[in-house]
Amino acid sequence: MKRIRALAVVAALVLSAPAVSAYLKLGTHVGANLVPLHWGAFPIRYFVTNRDIAGVTAPQLQQAVAGAIATWSGVRDVSISSQFVGFTGASPISGDGMTVIGFQNRPDLDLVLGSTSYTVDSVTGEVIESDIFLNSIFPWSVASGGEEGRQDVQSIALHELGHLLGLGHSALGETDLFGGGRRVLGAESVMFPIAFPAGNLNRALHADDVAGLSDVYGSDAFRASTGSITGRVTKNGSGVLGAHIVAFNPESGTLVGGFSLTPDGAFTIGGLEPGLHVVRAEPLDDGDPGSFIDSPQPIDLDFRPAIYSRLVSVPKGGTANGVEVKVTPK
Amino acid sequence: MRRLLAIALLVAVPAALRATVLVPIEFRELVTIASTIVHGRVVDVRADWVDGRRAIDTFVTVEANEYFKGGPGESVVVRVPGGQMGRYRTIFVGAPEFQRGDEVVLFLRGNPARGAIIVGLSQGAFRVAPDRTGRRVVTSPVLLGTSLDRPEPIVRGDPSRRPLAVDAFRELVKRVIAGGAR
Repeated sequence: MKRIRALAVVAALVLSAPAVSAYLKLGTHVGANLVPLHWGAFPIRYFVTNRDIAGVTAPQLQQAVAGAIATWSGVRDVSISSQFVGFTGASPISGDGMTVIGFQNRPDLDLVLGSTSYTVDSVTGEVIESDIFLNSIFPWSVASGGEEGRQDVQSIALHELGHLLGLGHSALGETDLFGGGRRVLGAESVMFPIAFPAGNLNRALHADDVAGLSDVYGSDAFRASTGSITGRVTKNGSGVLGAHIVAFNPESGTLVGGFSLTPDGAFTIGGLEPGLHVVRAEPLDDGDPGSFIDSPQPIDLDFRPAIYSRLVSVPKGGTANGVEVKVTPK
Repeated sequence: MRRLLAIALLVAVPAALRATVLVPIEFRELVTIASTIVHGRVVDVRADWVDGRRAIDTFVTVEANEYFKGGPGESVVVRVPGGQMGRYRTIFVGAPEFQRGDEVVLFLRGNPARGAIIVGLSQGAFRVAPDRTGRRVVTSPVLLGTSLDRPEPIVRGDPSRRPLAVDAFRELVKRVIAGGAR
C-alpha cells in the first residue's frame, strides 16, 4: 500500500498577533509589547547554499528560490524586494549575521521538511537575519511539472519565505485519513502547515496569502481597495479564544481566514474583496493548535462549527463591524 | 506489513476510545521513533549559546511523573532550538516554547543526559491541561480513523473528536508500542 504521511513543513510558534490583525503574523516581545516580525529595510540580502544534493544543483536551488521570491514580490500594492548576494558554504541554521537559504542534512528532524529561523534584536525588534533550511534527507525536485515521490523545492520555499516575511500559519486546508495516514486534499493558502504529498506543486499564492502579506507590508492603496470584518465568536455568551474564522466570497470563490486572538473572542479579518461574504467559525481541533497560536491561555476546541446568520457586506476601504458568530459546545 | 499492523491496532486499541480506531502513521511514527516518552512538568528553562556561539538553544528540564517509553531517571533535559541570550533572540519556527510549570507529554530521541530532542519539533510535544470537569487531558486531539480503504474526511468540530485523558493517551501509546513490536 502506498505510504501516505503528512509532513509538517513547519510546525509551531505563532505568536499572538495584534488585535487589528487580519492574519496570523510572527511576533516578538520588545519590552512589554508584542510587535510583528517584519523587515524594516529592503532589499533583503540573501545567500544560497553552495551544496548540490541528489536531483538538485546549487544553481537550480537558487533559481527555484528566486522563483518563489518573485511570487511573493509580485503581490500588488506591496513593496518588498530582495537581492541574491551569492552562494555560500555557511549553514542555513546558524546565527552568523547572514540570511542563508539552502539544504541541510538533518536526520534528527526527519518529520520536518524545512523550517525558518530568525535572529532578532529584542531591544529594537529588528530582524538581524533569517535562515531557511530544507531538509536534504528527503528527495527534492525542481522539475517544472513536479516529480513523483519528490518534494518540490519552489513550493516549500514559497511557504518558508512566507515565514521569512513574517507570516504565521493559515488553517485553510482540508485533509483526510486514507491508507493509514493523513493526506492533504486541498489548501487555500501556501501557509497551510502540512505539505501536499510529494510530487505535487503548490507554487501559487491564494487570496489568504495576499491578505496576510498585505497586512504586514501593504500600502494605503491596498487598504483603500479592500475591506475587513470585525466581530466576536461567543459560546453561551462568553468569548471563544482561538476559533478559526473564515470569510468566503461566493462571487469570487475566495477564502480568507483569521482567528479570535483574545479571551473575549474578538477577531478581525482584513484584505477582503468588497462584497458579500459568508462568515464561519470552527475549532482548531484537528491538530496542534499551538502550531497556529501561542497563547498562555487554553485554546477552546470544544464547540461545533457555526455560520453567521446573515451575509456580511464588506465595504470598499471600510469595515463591517459587529459580526457575532454564536457557537455551541460539542 | 503495514496493513497487518493497522489491523492489529484496530483490534488492540481499547473500545472505550471509539468503536474501532486506526492510529494514523504520523502518531505511530512518533511512538516508534521516540526512544523516550515522558509525562511530566517543566521545572527549568535555560537558554545557552551552542555551536561555537553561532546559535542559541534552550535547555528544558522536565521532572518526570512517568515514562510511557524508556525512562532515564527522575528528570530529562530537552534541547529545543532557539532562545534568548542577552538582547539577541533566536526564533526557530516550528520549535515549541516552554515555561516553568508547563505539564507536557514529550516524545524524545537522543541522549536525555546531554539534551534529548523532541521528535518532529512541536509534533512531538503535547500539552496537558484540565478540561472543564477538571480531568487532565492532552489538549491536542489525536486523529483516529476507522478504515484503511475508505477515505475519511477530517472535519473540524466533529463532536466525536475530543481531547484524550492522560490515562487514555498513555494506553494508546502503549498499544502502539505493543503493536509495533509484532
